[in-house]
Amino acid sequence: MKFLFFTRRAIYLSRTNNEYLFTKFINMRAASTVRIEILYGIRDMLPMSLAAATYGLAFGLLASQSGFNNFQAISMSALVFGGSSQLVAMDQLVLGVGPAAAIIAGAALNMRILLITASMESIMRDRSWWHIGLGTFLATDASVALMQTAKSRLMTDSYWYFFGGGASLYFVWIVVTTIGAFLSSGIPDPELVGLDFAIIAIFVAILPGMWRGYVDIFPWFIAAGTVIFFGVWLPEYASWGLISGAIFGAMAAGLKND
Amino acid sequence: MTNEIWITVFGLGLISFLIRISGFILASHLPKHGAWARGLEALPGCLIASLVTLMMIYGSTLEWITGIIVLVISALTHKPNLAMFCGIALIAALRQLGL
Repeated sequence: MKFLFFTRRAIYLSRTNNEYLFTKFINMRAASTVRIEILYGIRDMLPMSLAAATYGLAFGLLASQSGFNNFQAISMSALVFGGSSQLVAMDQLVLGVGPAAAIIAGAALNMRILLITASMESIMRDRSWWHIGLGTFLATDASVALMQTAKSRLMTDSYWYFFGGGASLYFVWIVVTTIGAFLSSGIPDPELVGLDFAIIAIFVAILPGMWRGYVDIFPWFIAAGTVIFFGVWLPEYASWGLISGAIFGAMAAGLKND
Repeated sequence: MTNEIWITVFGLGLISFLIRISGFILASHLPKHGAWARGLEALPGCLIASLVTLMMIYGSTLEWITGIIVLVISALTHKPNLAMFCGIALIAALRQLGL
C-alpha cells in the first residue's frame, strides 16, 4: 500500500511539472529507503553481534590482564576491528617478541578480510572513496554471513544494508571491549552458558544458505581439504590454511568448465 | 611496554585497513566475466567452508555433535539465527549434564 502511495504521488508530481516538489519527494523517498536498509542490516547482524560480544569481552578482559591500559585496549578494538588478530598480536607482545612481529602475526590473521572485501566489490562499486573506505573498514567475517541474509531481503547489492550491519557490530565490539577492560574480573564463564560456542554455531548455521548446489561440491571439498592439510600437518600455519583453502576453493570454481 | 603497545595498535590498525581496501581494489580490476567472476562468486562460500572446517578440526566431540545438529536445523528451517540459539542452548545443557 505504502509503495503504491509513493508511486502514485511520484507520478502525480512528475505530471504536474513541479520540479522542486518532485525532487524533494524523490529525496525523501531515498532517505526513507536508506533508513530501512540500515535498520534491516542492524537487525540481521544481531546474532553475529551476540557471537562477537563474547569474543570482545574476552579481548577486553585479557588485554587488561596483559598490561594494556583501558584506553589502549579500546583503541585496538576501534582501529583494528578484528577479534582473532587482536588476540594474537596481544599474545605476541606479552611473549616479548616486539611490535613488528606482533603486527605481522596480527596482519596474517587479517589477510582473510582481503578476500571478504574482494567479494563485496559489487556492493561498493561506483561509490565515493569515503564510502568505499568506510564500507571496507566495517567488513568482517560477519559481513559474509550478512550476504546470506541479504539474499532473502533482496538487498545483495545494498551498500546501506551492509553499512548498518557493520556499524552496529563495530558499536557492539567497542562497547564489550570497554566492559571487559573495565571489569577485568567478575564476568561469568562464557562456557557455562554456551556462549563460547556462539561463534562456531553462527558460521555452521549460515553454511546451508551459502550452498549454491552441486556446483559447490568440488570447490568446498578443495577448501576444506586444504584447511585439514594445514591443520593436521602444519598446525602452526593454520591461519594460512584458512586463506589458502578459500583461494584454492575459489580457483577450483573459476577453472571449472574452462 | 607502553610504547610497544601503541606502535602495535596503530601499526596493526593501519595494515588491517590497507588489507581491507586492497581486497576491494584488487577485485575491481578483475574481469567481471569468465573464470575470475566464477571464482569471486564462489569465494564467500569457500571462505565460510574453510572457516567452519578450521573451527571444527580442533573441536571436541560435544562441539561436533552440536555442530551437526545446528547444520541440520539450519538446513531444514532456513533460519540460521534459530539454529544458532538452539546450538548454544543445547551445548550449555549438555555441559550442565556433565557430558
